[in-house]
Amino acid sequence: MLLSQVVTGLAVGAAYSLIAVAVVLIYSGTRTLSIAMGEIGAFGLFVGLRWRADGIPVLGWKPSALWAGVIAVVIGGLLGLLIERVVMRPLVRRPPLDGLIATLGVALFLALLELKIYGEDPVPAPSPVGDRVITILGAPLPATRVAAFVLATLVAGALFVFLTRTKFGLATRAATSDPTVARLLGVKVNSVYRFAWGVGGALSGLTAAVLVPAFGQLTPFAQTQFSLRALAGAVIGGLDSIWGAILGSLLVGVVETVVQSNVSSSQNGYASMAVLVLVLGTLLVRPRGILGTAGVA
Amino acid sequence: MSPELFAPRRRPPVVPAVFGLVLAVVVLLGPLLLQPGKVSTLVTAIAIAITALGLDLLVGKTGQLSLAHAALLGVGTFSAIGLGGRGIPWPLAFVGAIAITAATSALIGLPSLRIRGLQVAITALAFQVFADSFLFQQNWVKDNTLTFTPPSFFDPAQHGFRRLYYFGIVLLVLTVLVLRRIDATRAGRSFVAVRDVEARAVAFGVTPGPTKLLAYALSGAIAGLGGALIAFKEGSVNDVGTFNLQASLLLVAVVVVGGAGSPVGICLAAFFVRALPNLIPPGASLPVIGEVATSIPILFAAFLVINVVANPEGTGGQLRSARRRIELLLSGPRARPSPRPQATDPVASAVRAADLRDVPRGLPSRLPVPALLTGRDVTVQYGGVRALSDVSLEVRRGEIVGLIGANGAGKSTFFNAVSGLAPVQGSIRYRGQELVGTDAARRSRVGIARTFQDMGLIRADTVRQNLLLAQGWMARYPQSAGILALGSSVRDERELRRRADLALELFGLDHLANETLGGLPYGTMRICEIAAAVSTGPDLLLLDEATAGLTPEEANALGDRFLALRSELGLTLVVIEHHVPLIARVCDYTYCLESGQLIAEGTPDDVTAQPRVIESFLGKGSLRESGSAASLREPAPA
Amino acid sequence: MTSPLLEVESLCSGYGALQVLFDVSLTVGEGEIVALMGSNGAGKTTTLRTVTGLIKPMSGHVRLDGAEVTGRPPETLVPRGVVMVPEGRGMLRDLTVAENLALGAYVSRDKAAIAASLDQAFTTFPILAERRSQKAGTLSGGQQQMLALGRAIMSRPRLMLVDEASLGLSPIMTETAFNLIAEVNRTGVAVLIVEQNVLALDLADRAYVLEKGQIVATAEGADVRTMQGRLREAYLGRAAP
Repeated sequence: MLLSQVVTGLAVGAAYSLIAVAVVLIYSGTRTLSIAMGEIGAFGLFVGLRWRADGIPVLGWKPSALWAGVIAVVIGGLLGLLIERVVMRPLVRRPPLDGLIATLGVALFLALLELKIYGEDPVPAPSPVGDRVITILGAPLPATRVAAFVLATLVAGALFVFLTRTKFGLATRAATSDPTVARLLGVKVNSVYRFAWGVGGALSGLTAAVLVPAFGQLTPFAQTQFSLRALAGAVIGGLDSIWGAILGSLLVGVVETVVQSNVSSSQNGYASMAVLVLVLGTLLVRPRGILGTAGVA
Repeated sequence: MSPELFAPRRRPPVVPAVFGLVLAVVVLLGPLLLQPGKVSTLVTAIAIAITALGLDLLVGKTGQLSLAHAALLGVGTFSAIGLGGRGIPWPLAFVGAIAITAATSALIGLPSLRIRGLQVAITALAFQVFADSFLFQQNWVKDNTLTFTPPSFFDPAQHGFRRLYYFGIVLLVLTVLVLRRIDATRAGRSFVAVRDVEARAVAFGVTPGPTKLLAYALSGAIAGLGGALIAFKEGSVNDVGTFNLQASLLLVAVVVVGGAGSPVGICLAAFFVRALPNLIPPGASLPVIGEVATSIPILFAAFLVINVVANPEGTGGQLRSARRRIELLLSGPRARPSPRPQATDPVASAVRAADLRDVPRGLPSRLPVPALLTGRDVTVQYGGVRALSDVSLEVRRGEIVGLIGANGAGKSTFFNAVSGLAPVQGSIRYRGQELVGTDAARRSRVGIARTFQDMGLIRADTVRQNLLLAQGWMARYPQSAGILALGSSVRDERELRRRADLALELFGLDHLANETLGGLPYGTMRICEIAAAVSTGPDLLLLDEATAGLTPEEANALGDRFLALRSELGLTLVVIEHHVPLIARVCDYTYCLESGQLIAEGTPDDVTAQPRVIESFLGKGSLRESGSAASLREPAPA
Repeated sequence: MTSPLLEVESLCSGYGALQVLFDVSLTVGEGEIVALMGSNGAGKTTTLRTVTGLIKPMSGHVRLDGAEVTGRPPETLVPRGVVMVPEGRGMLRDLTVAENLALGAYVSRDKAAIAASLDQAFTTFPILAERRSQKAGTLSGGQQQMLALGRAIMSRPRLMLVDEASLGLSPIMTETAFNLIAEVNRTGVAVLIVEQNVLALDLADRAYVLEKGQIVATAEGADVRTMQGRLREAYLGRAAP
């Protein structure tokens, strides 16, 4: 019983962890805490699902659910690049709080824009990977959850290898450590920022594509709750550690699922209370997060 | 109310008076032109504006971002309904709601004692989520059986919303007045000090922890007032949309778009996003943006991003520069005061400022202790690095002591040790009393003042505000009493202001009192910092690289001032200085540090003649390879 | 006529409205060591920050081999054969010694050349080979200085700019640092050394003195030695003993 709840929780947490990794990537690369990732992904998926229903303008092609997910990833990445160039780059030398407030504005803008363009009606979001339910250790998991788990592992592994084994990854870490010194060594820090936001945006689109179908539909602002859980995961795990982000997100997913399964269904707020306690507890005991480095605190 | 309660204005207020008059007419008469039903939305906008003003206090003044102010607004509303709905008279329900919200806000602020910046924003965000999904779903919070009925005089059912509107305007004006009092007293100065120079704020007698909590509590109290107004208007609340996360983000947007520190800008922004969509006829549409009413929030979110990126001062900043432009048009270009200190006779001005020495001091001021400051085996260790090791030295009353040594030798670390900003092993005695182990705030009380190598003042504040902040230890009234002008606060503030003006005059800075410190040349800022240190009435003045950024003439003049401070004000000085000729001219005694160790002491001439000092300061090669002594004595270049 | 390797002409620069440099001109030729001397606040670091493009000049020119590079961003310097050792040694503290060195050759694509440079760095500073997997932040001040110089030569530069190598080092360590710089110079790298410590003049072929943002004296050859004496006087305010 508890075991199956934990497994479900891990699967939920895995989906959060994709956004959490995006948050960590952007924080490590640019020292900006972005709370817009959920909305960036949701916007990408909105476009994908709308095109699936109405056909892509001009081309007229109606993409499948899988292609809608791919479109979400691409639009998410493009949005990330656009935000980096237009909003974040002018803020490079400003206090970190300004960056946070700017991403807050971006989140608000995207959510309200969705509302305006697409209205309040939910858009049906079919699973890009089919509707099979797979039972793992007694936990019935929809295919999307399993896909989220697999993707999270793959993405995190790929990013980790990229950051530690490749030259551009080394440059990214140098830019994080000291942007001025990195520039003097020939590192183009702007391309590091661009990379962080582009990949971060694409990851957000990916999260939306694998997370939303579990609920069958997408509504404006629906992503907010998830991105906040992911943010909690990133903070708990340590804002500059990819593995920390995953660990934190899994923790959030498990705690939330277990609490939710064990209290009366009318009181689903207990789950968010548990998350609040988890965030506060971690930050007070260890401000840098479980795996974060001293620079975070 | 005496005008002295607030910081004095610097320009003749013709333009603001006209602007204020127009604003007052619009605010007072505007609702009469609207359908009574539409006035309702204005009341809500007022509540939002009040809450945003509370948020501005927190974000603008203390630099703590709260993403939970909509939740606080909700706490205020439900508290007022819970109290007023149970038959408690409405003024008491208001007070209760304010108190409960203030306490909740302080609770949200608690983590800020341990963590800072972005993480604090996250904890507030977590509280907002908790309130959305739990707190506001609970029946004991959102009790549908309770209704807060306003007295019949205000009752919207009988009179429409106009009376409530004017009531709201009164509350809004009161809030602005309270905020201005905060600015003009200890509380506001402490907030800014914690925001900009937290680690050094203790040097001004500001303790960061309680100061932050006070800021949270005040900000929450103001949000609670906004909530009570909503409760008053609505009676009971079912839709919690005004209190959710999105509403919190919009509150931040109101502050940023309105402009930190600008009540008018913030009220305009609140009106724009909260009232305007309901005032525009439904269906009205414009090209490109489509239906106007639903586009306003999107436009507002865009404004938020644009403002953060390109217009950080917000609407308030635009209003200020418009005012400057109009004033320029009306009066023609005015000569700006010279940003440099005015030359005054050092001795005469020091004599005039002798009053500065008259301070209430716990210690008897003339103990027969020859050594004012004695350091014994002072060691400062940061991690594995010894910044100072076993330094022993003595500063006698009435001396000017020089502290020299290469960059990184530990000179500033010694100052930090004396002023309580570094972890010290060993003993530092001041007038025979041990300082090690006592809190840093005590230093200014016993009579030690210092300046910092990289400026310890608030660049965003005016010169005078900085001098008032520096004298923090003398403002004895509690921070909250100052806001209500209670107790000794008005008298104390007047005294601080008088002392600040004396100190400014002493350094020839009186013409710059109302200038923003950050806008002055670096050298002038440094002199302002010395003036601030002197204004605290110290016996011992520690000056860290006082002449950096000064022209040679100014540096020379500053040397004369040091001598005058000693002779006329009886100050004892320790100066860290790279310019050895100045050391030689003004110092009685000199210590030289190298790599954290004392390597020489004596009169300036003796010290600078020692080979070890020369080697440390200038490098060894100059002796080893420089050929004949004759070549060293060539005349200096013209 | 051939242009000097680095030519700074009538440079005016500063921060915002605050002008720090006034008409600073200097040159560095192939293989030379040039010292730019000055006390705290004279504008030494501002000069280097402007030359490297970290701040934009108000007016004036910076040329490399006669080509205008004024105001170019700092990341374009290394490909042009100019490397800077920043004040405080510019360690990437969270990265290992090996990673710091690898970043020194970041712009190079020639794997054989990188390996050769690494060999050279390890031969010149053997301690770096020993500590290669240690985090740079955990090295001692002197080792960090070696790493800074080792990292600088990884890109096979023609010109190395050194900002206050003596900062925070004891006199003995300072001397070591200067010897290391001389060693790098012997491999054919021109050096502009910016210093307060007059020991730097021992290395220099030519020298400039910066005071309050202006060049107030220049020296060449034997005159560099006499400049030491004059600087001593300027610092100490009287003739040497």
